[in-house]
Amino acid sequence: MAKNEMKTPLILEIKGNSLDDGPGIRSVVFYKGCPLSCVWCHNPESKKSSVEIAFDGKVCVNCGACRDVCPEKALSPDNKYYIDRSRCNLCFLCVDACPSGALDKVGKKMSVENIMKKILPDKPFFDTSGGGVTLSGGEPTLYMEFTSQILRALKQHNIHTLLETCGLFDMKRFMDMLYPYLDIIYFDIKIIDSMAHEKYCGVSNEKILDNFMQLSKKAANDGKILLPRTPLIPDMTDSESNIRGIAAFLKSLNITEAALLAYNPLWHEKSDKVGVDDPYKNVKIMTSFRDNTVLERCKAIFADTGINS
Amino acid sequence: MQTSQQSAQKSFMNTLAGLFFKFFAFNFNTRPSLNKYLKCDDGWINFTFGIKTENGSVEQAMAFENGKVRVLNNIPEKPDAQLIFADEDAVKDAATLPPNRLMLALMENRIVTRGNLGYLQLINFYLSLLLKHIHIAKLKKETKTEKRKYDSAKAAKNSIEGRSLRQLKAAAVDPGVKFLPDPYLAEYSLNDFPRVKDFLDIHLKTRAAICHERPELLTRYYRENGFETDKNGKALVPELRQAQAFKYLMENKIPLIRKNDLIAGTNTTKEIGVIIYPDAHGTMIWPELITAPYRPLNPYDVDPETMDVLHNKVFPFWIGRNFREWVRDHKGYPTCQKLDERFAACFLWKTVALSHTILNYPEILKLGTNGIIAKIDKELSETPKSEQQKLDTLRAMKISLEGINAYAKNLSGEAERLVRQETEPVRKNELLHLAGICGRVPQNPCTTFDEAVNAMWIMWIGVHMENTNAGFSLGRLDQWLQPYFTADMEKLKNERDKQQYIKHAIELIGCFYMRCTDHLPLIPDIGNYLFGGSSSDQAITLGGVTPEGEDAVNDMTYIFLKVTEMLSIRDPNVNARYNRSKNSTAYLKRLCEVNLNTTATPSIHNDEAVMASLAEFNYPAEHLRDWSATGCVEPTLSGRHIGHTNCMMFNMVAAFEMALNNGRHPLMRWDLGPKTGDIKAGDFKDYESFFNAFATQLRFLADQTCEYNNFLGEAHQAIRPTPFISALIEGSLKSGKDVTKGGALYNSSGTACIGLADITDSLMVIKKLVFEEKKIAFGQLLDAVNTNFKNDPALLALIKNKITLFGSGNEEALATANRVTKLAHDIFIEHTNYRGGKYTAGFWSMSNHVAFGTLTGALPSGRLAGKAFTPGLTPEPHASKSILDNIRDVAKLKPENMNNNIAFNVKVVPSAEESHQKTVDNIYSYVKTYSDLGGMQIQLNVVSSKTLRDAMEHPENYQNLLVRISGYNAYFVTLNRDMQIELIERAEFGI
Repeated sequence: MAKNEMKTPLILEIKGNSLDDGPGIRSVVFYKGCPLSCVWCHNPESKKSSVEIAFDGKVCVNCGACRDVCPEKALSPDNKYYIDRSRCNLCFLCVDACPSGALDKVGKKMSVENIMKKILPDKPFFDTSGGGVTLSGGEPTLYMEFTSQILRALKQHNIHTLLETCGLFDMKRFMDMLYPYLDIIYFDIKIIDSMAHEKYCGVSNEKILDNFMQLSKKAANDGKILLPRTPLIPDMTDSESNIRGIAAFLKSLNITEAALLAYNPLWHEKSDKVGVDDPYKNVKIMTSFRDNTVLERCKAIFADTGINS
Repeated sequence: MQTSQQSAQKSFMNTLAGLFFKFFAFNFNTRPSLNKYLKCDDGWINFTFGIKTENGSVEQAMAFENGKVRVLNNIPEKPDAQLIFADEDAVKDAATLPPNRLMLALMENRIVTRGNLGYLQLINFYLSLLLKHIHIAKLKKETKTEKRKYDSAKAAKNSIEGRSLRQLKAAAVDPGVKFLPDPYLAEYSLNDFPRVKDFLDIHLKTRAAICHERPELLTRYYRENGFETDKNGKALVPELRQAQAFKYLMENKIPLIRKNDLIAGTNTTKEIGVIIYPDAHGTMIWPELITAPYRPLNPYDVDPETMDVLHNKVFPFWIGRNFREWVRDHKGYPTCQKLDERFAACFLWKTVALSHTILNYPEILKLGTNGIIAKIDKELSETPKSEQQKLDTLRAMKISLEGINAYAKNLSGEAERLVRQETEPVRKNELLHLAGICGRVPQNPCTTFDEAVNAMWIMWIGVHMENTNAGFSLGRLDQWLQPYFTADMEKLKNERDKQQYIKHAIELIGCFYMRCTDHLPLIPDIGNYLFGGSSSDQAITLGGVTPEGEDAVNDMTYIFLKVTEMLSIRDPNVNARYNRSKNSTAYLKRLCEVNLNTTATPSIHNDEAVMASLAEFNYPAEHLRDWSATGCVEPTLSGRHIGHTNCMMFNMVAAFEMALNNGRHPLMRWDLGPKTGDIKAGDFKDYESFFNAFATQLRFLADQTCEYNNFLGEAHQAIRPTPFISALIEGSLKSGKDVTKGGALYNSSGTACIGLADITDSLMVIKKLVFEEKKIAFGQLLDAVNTNFKNDPALLALIKNKITLFGSGNEEALATANRVTKLAHDIFIEHTNYRGGKYTAGFWSMSNHVAFGTLTGALPSGRLAGKAFTPGLTPEPHASKSILDNIRDVAKLKPENMNNNIAFNVKVVPSAEESHQKTVDNIYSYVKTYSDLGGMQIQLNVVSSKTLRDAMEHPENYQNLLVRISGYNAYFVTLNRDMQIELIERAEFGI
C-alpha cells in the first residue's frame, strides 16, 4: 500500500428507510469484510473484504447472454452455483451483459463523497423522525480512517450516527477516530465462553470483552448510548449458560439496557448466491422461525439480573 | 358499399342470428306477458334496431312498430340504434354471455354501439325478459364461484365488533380548540353511541334498492306541464321549468324520518336508495331491472312496482331527453361523442352529472333561505324588464328555494305525526325537538348546532334531488359548524353539561355521517368495472387556514376526526388540509393516527402546495384560502366556484399508444389521430421527435374531449339547468345566470389525467434503450410491445432491471414526469369551457387506472397488456425498494402543473411488534417530510397484501375493510377482481 493511501472498504449496499437499525428513519451503510466468521452470519456476502460475484437463479431468465461473453467459460447451469468460481477471473463482463440482474457484482468502491451523495437526499426524513445513519456490515472498524471520514462528514451535516460493531478493533484508534463522532454504539456480545466463541465465530472473545469493558466506562462518563446486543442463534448463543454468563458480565459493568435479537432464519439462500456451502441448509432448527418462548426465556434471565432487554 | 356485395358473403353465423331474431320476434308477438312491454303509458314504443359485424358477414335488424316486432332483411338506412360486432365470435358471445359479461365486451370494444343508447338499453331489457331464467342462473353461478355471497348481517356484526382501536391522547391543544380537554377524544368509542352503532350496522348489512320516487314525480310533472314546450306549444324557459319541477318534487316527496335518527329527511324512500336520474344516465339500469338483484358486484334490489314505474312511466319519456342524446341530435353525432362511447380513451362525467361543487353553506346557515330569497327579491326589483333572461333565472332560483322550504315544512309535520305516535318519552322529546327544528330551518337563520346540522342535511337532499349524486361535496364543515357549536357551549355553565354536550356533538355528527350513506349513485354493471365500489364521494374538508390565513383547526375538526375514526366508512370522503406554517404537529399526528386506525382515511393535503398549484388563476387570497376538496381530491373555492373538477377521466396512455401506432388506436381498431410518424418506417430519428408525436396525439385527444365536454355543457343548459344550486353559489344572483351558463363567480373544468408513471417510464425506456444506448431498434421494441413481450423475456428483464424509473430517485425520470405533467397542463389550460372557464389538469384516477389499463396493450415500460396502470401518479411498485425515493420524487413534481390536484397512494404495513405510538410517529415522519419537500397530497393504505388476499377469499370477515383507490374510499369486498388485484400488487412498505 502506498504511503498516504487510505484503506478503503467495498460497500455492499446503502439501504434507505430502515426502521430497525436505531432510532427513527435511517440509512444503513453496509461494509464488506469482517474479522469474525460467525457460522450463522446473516450477510454471508459481507464476510470477505474482496469483491465477489453473485448469481440469483430466481430472477434469471436464462437468455444465455452471460455465457456468450464469459472469456473463461465459467458459467453453466450444470455448475452447482451456476458460476465455476475456480475459473472465474472476476472480469464482470457477464454482469454487464445480464439483463435481469441475476448476476451481480458484490461490493463496490465508493468514495466518501459518493456515499454522502446517496445519503443526503434522505436527510429530511432523518430530521422529522429523529433518525440518521447507521454504519454496519461487515465491520466498519476494519476501516478506521475511512469510517472516520464518513462520520465527520455526517456530523458536518448534523446527522445522527450509529455504529454496529462486532467489537474486535484497536481501542486506541477507535477512541481517536470514531468515538467522538458517534451518537450510539451497538456492540455485539455473542458468546461469553471464549472457546465457544472461537468455535462459532472464528476468533476468541477476550479482546472483544475487554473493549466492551473499556468502552462501557467511557460511554457512561460521556453520556453516550452503548447497547450490547446478543443474537439468539439456536443452540449456539441461546443456551441458558451463555445468556446467564452474558447477563453476569453486563451486570458487573452496571449495564442495565441490552438487546436480545430473535432468530431470523431468512439468510440461507444468500449463501447460495455467493457460492458458499451452507452447512445448516437442511438443519430445521436453523431454517425456521422460533416461537417466542426462547426470546421470553432469555429476557427473563436478563431481567433477573436487573437488565432490561 | 354495404348491400349487394357483402350480402353475398354472409355467413352461417348470420343464419343463426336471423333465427334468433325470429325467435325473439315470435315470442314478443305471441306471448302477452312479453308483448305488454312493447308499450308504455304513452303508447307503443316504436323503433328500429340492427346488428352487424365489421366485415358485414352478419347483418340483421328488427322493427318495433305498434306492438309488433318484424325481422327485416337488412338494416334500414337510419336505424335508431345498432350494435357493431368486431367479429363473429363477438356475436356468439353476445348470445351466450350473461349481461354483466356483455358489458365487458362493450368496454373492450368487441362490440361498438351506434345511435341512441336508450333504445339499446331497451333492447337489452327485452333480451333479459326473454332470457331471464338463463341470465339469472348464470349470475347466481358467478356470484357463488366468485365468493360474493355470504350472510351480510353476520358479516356486518363481525366487522363492527372485530375492530379494536388503540388511541393516543393529544400532546398539545391547538389555539382554535376551545372546549375539548383532550382534542383526540381518546375516552370515547363507538360503544358510547349505541344509536350510531345501530346505524352503522344497518349501513353495512343492507343491500341498496333502486328508488323510483324522484324520476316518477319529475316525469309526472313534465308529462302534465311539458318539457320543451308547454301545453300550448310555447317554448319553456329551461330554468323556470326546472325550478317548477323541483318545487313539485320537493312538495310531493314523502317526508321521512329514520327510526331513532336525530336528523330528519331522506334522499330516497328506501333504507339505502339508489337515485335515478333519467335525464342523465338513468336509463342505463333499464337492461338490469330484472337481473340487478343477482349481479355479483354491488347488487340492487328492484321491487316489481319500481320496475313497472320505470318502464311504463319514466324511461320511455327520456329516451331522447338526456345529455348524450341531446348532443347526438343537436351536434350531429360528432367524433368526440363516438370516442367517449368507446371507453378506451376517456370517460366524460357530464354524461352523468355536472356536480363536483360546493355551495355557499355558511351563508345558508346564517341567512336561511328566506334571507337568500330577500336578496333575490332585491336583485329582481333592481333588474330592468328588458333583461328577461336574468328575471327568469332569478325567479327560478326563488321558486326552487320555496321548494326546499316546503319539504322542510313537510318534515316538521311528519315529526309531529310521529310525536303523537311515540310512547317512549326520550324519543318523543327528540321528535318534538326535530319538529321544531324543521319548522324553523333552513328557512330561517340557524341559531343552534342541531339546527345547523339539520339545515345542512335538508339542503343536501335538495342538491341531490336537483342534480346527480356524483361528487357533490360538503366543504369545510368544521369551519362552518364551529360557530354554532361554540354558541351552544358558551351557554353551558357547568363542566358536566359541557361534557354531555361534547358527547352529543359527536353523536350528531355520527348521525350526519350515517345519513350521508342513505343514498348511492346509480352504477350500472359496467360501472362496477369502471368505477367499482364508489359511493357518491361526498367530500368533507377539515383543518387548514381560515380565509384570513389563521390556523383553522378547531373543536369541530377533532370531533369530525373522531367520528371518521369510529365509523371508518367510505362516505363521506374525508380530506384534511395540513398547513405547514399554521397547523400543529398534534393535528398532523392525529390525522396520521386516524388514517392508521381506519386503514384508509383521511386523505392529507399539503395546504400551501395545493394553493400554490392555483397561483395562475390569481384568485383573491381570502377566497383561495377557503378551498375545499371536491369529489376525490380536487380543489374548489368553497361557495363561489363551479369547477366541475371531474369533468373527464382522461387516459393519457391512449395518446401514447396512438403515437406508437401513427395515430391508430389498437384496441379501438381506429385510425383516429393525426399521422405523427411510423416507427417501422424509421420516422423517428431521435427521442424528441417521438416525444413530439406523443404531444400531438395528446393534444388531439384533449381537443376531442374538451369539445365533447363543451357540447355536454350545452346539453346541461338545455336539459337540466340548476336554479336551486345557482341560488346558493356566489356570483349567480349578480350575474343573473344559471351556474350551468357561467353564473358562478369562478368557472373552470377539471380533468383527471391518467397514466403518468406508466408514460414516464415508457418514455425513459425509449430514450435510454432505443436512442441513447442503442441497445434495441425502435421497431424491435414495438414488435415486443405488440406481442406483449411473449418472445422477448430478456428484453423485458432488461427493461425492468436496468431502466431507472419515476419514483427511483433518478433526476432524469423525475424531469420526464415533470415534462409530461407540464405538457398535459399546458394543453388543457389552452382550452376554454362553455362557461368561459379554463381546463385544469389533475393526476388522480378514481378507479380508472384499472379500467383504462384493461383496455390498453403492453407498454415499452414492460407493463403487460391489460394490467392496471399505477393509481393516480403513484410510481411503479418496482421503481424502488425504498418508500423514501417514491415520496421524494412525487414531492418534487411541480404543483403549478397539477392544478386539479393529485392522488399519491402509499401502502404501508405496520409491524405487529411496534407500539401504536411508534407506528403513528413513523407515518407522521413520512407525511411531514413529504409536505416539507413540497408534495401536494398523500393517501395511505395501512393494510398488508396478505390481509387483502384473505379478504378476497373470505369477504365475510372483511365487510368494512376500507381502502383508498385513487382519491376515493371503497370497501374492498365490493370491488371487482381486477381492482382487488391492483391493490394487492401495489408496492408495500413495512413500517
